[in-house]
Amino acid sequence: MNPTPARYAIRIHGHLGATVLSAFPALVSRRHGADTVLTGLLDRSALYGVLAEIEALGLDLVEVRQLTRHRKPPGSGDRRSP
Amino acid sequence: MTIISAPAGSGKTCLLRAWADRPGQPHRLAVLQVQRDQHDAQQFWLALLTAVRQASATASRAEPPAATPEFNAPAMVDRVLSELADARGGITLVIDDLHELHSSEALALLTRLLATLPPNVHAILATRRDLRLGLQQLRLAGELAEIRAAALRFSERETRELLDASGIALSAAGAARLHQRTEGWAAGLRLAALSLACHPDPERFVAEFSGSDRTVAEYLLAELLERQPPDVQDLLLRTSPLDRVNGDLADLLTGRPGSERILLELEDANAFVESLDPERTWFRYHHLFADFLRLELRRTLPEEVPALHRRAAAWSAEHGQVVDAIRHTQAAGDWPGAARLLADHSFSLTLDGQAQTIRALVRAFPQGAPADNPELALVRAMSDVFQGRLDEAAAHLAVAETYVEAAPPDRRRRLRVAVAALQLSLATRRGHLAGVVEQARFLASPLAGQSDEDIALGNDLRAVALYNLGTVEAYLGLADAERHLREGAVLARQIGRPYLEVRCLAQLGFASQILPFATIQRRCREAIELAERHGWGAEPWIAPALIALAGTMVWTGEFAEAERWLQRTARALRADTGADIRLLVHMASGMLQAGRGRHHEALQEFGAAEYLGSQLADSHALASRVTGWLLATQARLGMTGEARAVLAALDDERANSGEIRNARAVIRLAEGDPAAALGAVADVLDGTAPVIAPRRCVGHGTVVEAHLLAGLAHRELGDQRAANQAAEQALALAESDRLVLPFAMTGSRELLAALPRHQTAHAALLADILDVVHGASPTANEQSSLPPIERLSPGELRVLRYLPTNLSRPEIAGELSVSVNTVNTHIRSIYAKLQASDRSAAVQRARALRLLSASRTR
Repeated sequence: MNPTPARYAIRIHGHLGATVLSAFPALVSRRHGADTVLTGLLDRSALYGVLAEIEALGLDLVEVRQLTRHRKPPGSGDRRSP
Repeated sequence: MTIISAPAGSGKTCLLRAWADRPGQPHRLAVLQVQRDQHDAQQFWLALLTAVRQASATASRAEPPAATPEFNAPAMVDRVLSELADARGGITLVIDDLHELHSSEALALLTRLLATLPPNVHAILATRRDLRLGLQQLRLAGELAEIRAAALRFSERETRELLDASGIALSAAGAARLHQRTEGWAAGLRLAALSLACHPDPERFVAEFSGSDRTVAEYLLAELLERQPPDVQDLLLRTSPLDRVNGDLADLLTGRPGSERILLELEDANAFVESLDPERTWFRYHHLFADFLRLELRRTLPEEVPALHRRAAAWSAEHGQVVDAIRHTQAAGDWPGAARLLADHSFSLTLDGQAQTIRALVRAFPQGAPADNPELALVRAMSDVFQGRLDEAAAHLAVAETYVEAAPPDRRRRLRVAVAALQLSLATRRGHLAGVVEQARFLASPLAGQSDEDIALGNDLRAVALYNLGTVEAYLGLADAERHLREGAVLARQIGRPYLEVRCLAQLGFASQILPFATIQRRCREAIELAERHGWGAEPWIAPALIALAGTMVWTGEFAEAERWLQRTARALRADTGADIRLLVHMASGMLQAGRGRHHEALQEFGAAEYLGSQLADSHALASRVTGWLLATQARLGMTGEARAVLAALDDERANSGEIRNARAVIRLAEGDPAAALGAVADVLDGTAPVIAPRRCVGHGTVVEAHLLAGLAHRELGDQRAANQAAEQALALAESDRLVLPFAMTGSRELLAALPRHQTAHAALLADILDVVHGASPTANEQSSLPPIERLSPGELRVLRYLPTNLSRPEIAGELSVSVNTVNTHIRSIYAKLQASDRSAAVQRARALRLLSASRTR
């Protein structure tokens, strides 16, 4: 298991308002249709923390996806999630 | 078993409550709702045990559950299981919010408990996520009922029923849309119902709600909050950082009166606020609601948050809720303040059994906060001492001490007290009397101008100080030990510290060395019994009582029984690294082995005891005895050279003690110089040599030994008469406490055998000794297979003692100063009660039933 942080995209059904979003300060949110996608750089502990918060708030978790594996890139940009 | 596993807000708790409240509930319910973020296994199990006790409501002999600094997990599970099994009729164990149990230790234990539930118990667990509880077995066996989210969902029809019951007029289409939007989620429906109940246009509400893409929870919670009057909103937001709230505390946080009324109204409106007690003084918000409120508070009033936590911390501290106070102080970001609180209270908290809570609190501190480390070092030292990790404790204490003098004046006194308490515990464990006395005096002195908190803390410390002082005095054989331990036990009982009370009593049993064996045994058994009633029968701190009891039995030759108690002591000690008690265990084991003639094993044990004795700071009260027996055993094994070497290395004071003189005699006898042996014990016999505890029981041991050694020497020199006289004197001294051990240890079988039976005044004792020496001590195994008998009267018991001897009935009558007829009557009765046909059968039966040894100690 690679301990270094990786970029994750976490998809939740429904749009998140300002209050609930404030529970995820390290993540950027974007709306995709009826869902909200939270993206950010997280190590494992942070990832599980986010998942626990989602559970506690009764949110509807749809998908957790790792976007890139951490490499030392010679300046390559982020891959966009489709 | 039933498990309800569904996400937050699915209605698990509602379901449990509705089920529990239904009329005609056949079984009793033991209900436990796990506290939020419960890290402490002991706290969880104590709560569980309390719940089970309340449900079974049997007038049990056991004491109410009390916490101990160290948690014996398996013993706790056993206690719960036995309480469950004892409950007549069925019992249902309900545990809600099991996902909040953040202690893997506790969860593992729970798994074990669930796997071994008695047949009359049904367990119902509610959790937000599946847990590792070993349920697969039950599932496969078809013994597990599962209620999952799908089953808890409201159907469309149920939705309509809910609306109807809440008096909400909504069209069928509206209800259908509501159902669809919430997907039947219980919390969503309940929130919607709350909003709909006082909404002027329910249909529009549902339309807007359906049309929004917002998550259900957030939409409805925001709705609910928005519709509240401003003062209610303010109350909800400002009290959200708390785990539980009452009117007083809420008033403090909002800066306005009248909070209690608002809380009661909210609960009555069924708005996710519930009271925690029948008097409705404490309230809690539903987790979802609370979490949302906290986020909203941080978003809208971020600058208020630290202030709210600080005010809550102050209130909690004032009301004795120390753990809450520390948590709030940490949440306010005041790390130095939190460290101070923790350092001040970790002693009492540990006595309250919150050791794991303390560890969780320590972990919450940020890494390497510089100024806090000395206070935290103190906390860590506390934890180490209670768990017997003495070296680590000393290291942490050293760090803390360097800080004390440099601390600001108002901290200094509190820190000094805390440091003194720890030094005291350490000094006790290491047998360092000077250190103990110094610290104990400091702690026991009353300090002027104390707050209630100081007094409570002071009482805890005083009880511990008395315990430690008494303990060390006991080990050093000082007279004040008894007084201090008794005082400590009384104080502990007054302040409601059963753990300390039991510890004091256990030490008291041990400290009673100057009293008859019967008294020692009674005190030890009392302490052990009290401990067992609390479920502490296998804990390390009972060891003093266990070893004292074992010791008396070794002295009276009840080797098998003594061995059992010794084994129990060894098991109880477990990971305890204190040299003090281990020394005693080795010494007693050595005595036992020597008594059985196993000299090699005895040598090992005495050697181990000697080594441990050298590790104690002060000279141990029994040091010369250990060394004396070590030398004697070496001599008996033919290692006279080594023995002489050890002897030469002793300082004068020790070398002159009675015990060492006896050892010298043994060496001389081994070297074939009986005359010199006589010379060695001469001073012991005429009483000029100092012996250990020159008081009744244990001190006699040395003199008895000396007589026997003299007897052996006389025998070697061919003076049979002197030998017999010496043996007779040994028996005389040994009679009152029935000290069998010296006879067994000195290998005086032949000496005794040569004693003309009819010329001894101690025939019964002699017979007992010969039994032991011939290895005929009774075992408990025989006893268990025999049917019970009618009790023997005291007169019959007196006659019974003489049955194993060769004395005739007239001779027995003479010994007891009664008529022959009386003896005959007693013997007939004895035969009848023991169902024996003749004397030897009666003796055998009496041995098996341990009546002979019972008659030994009065």
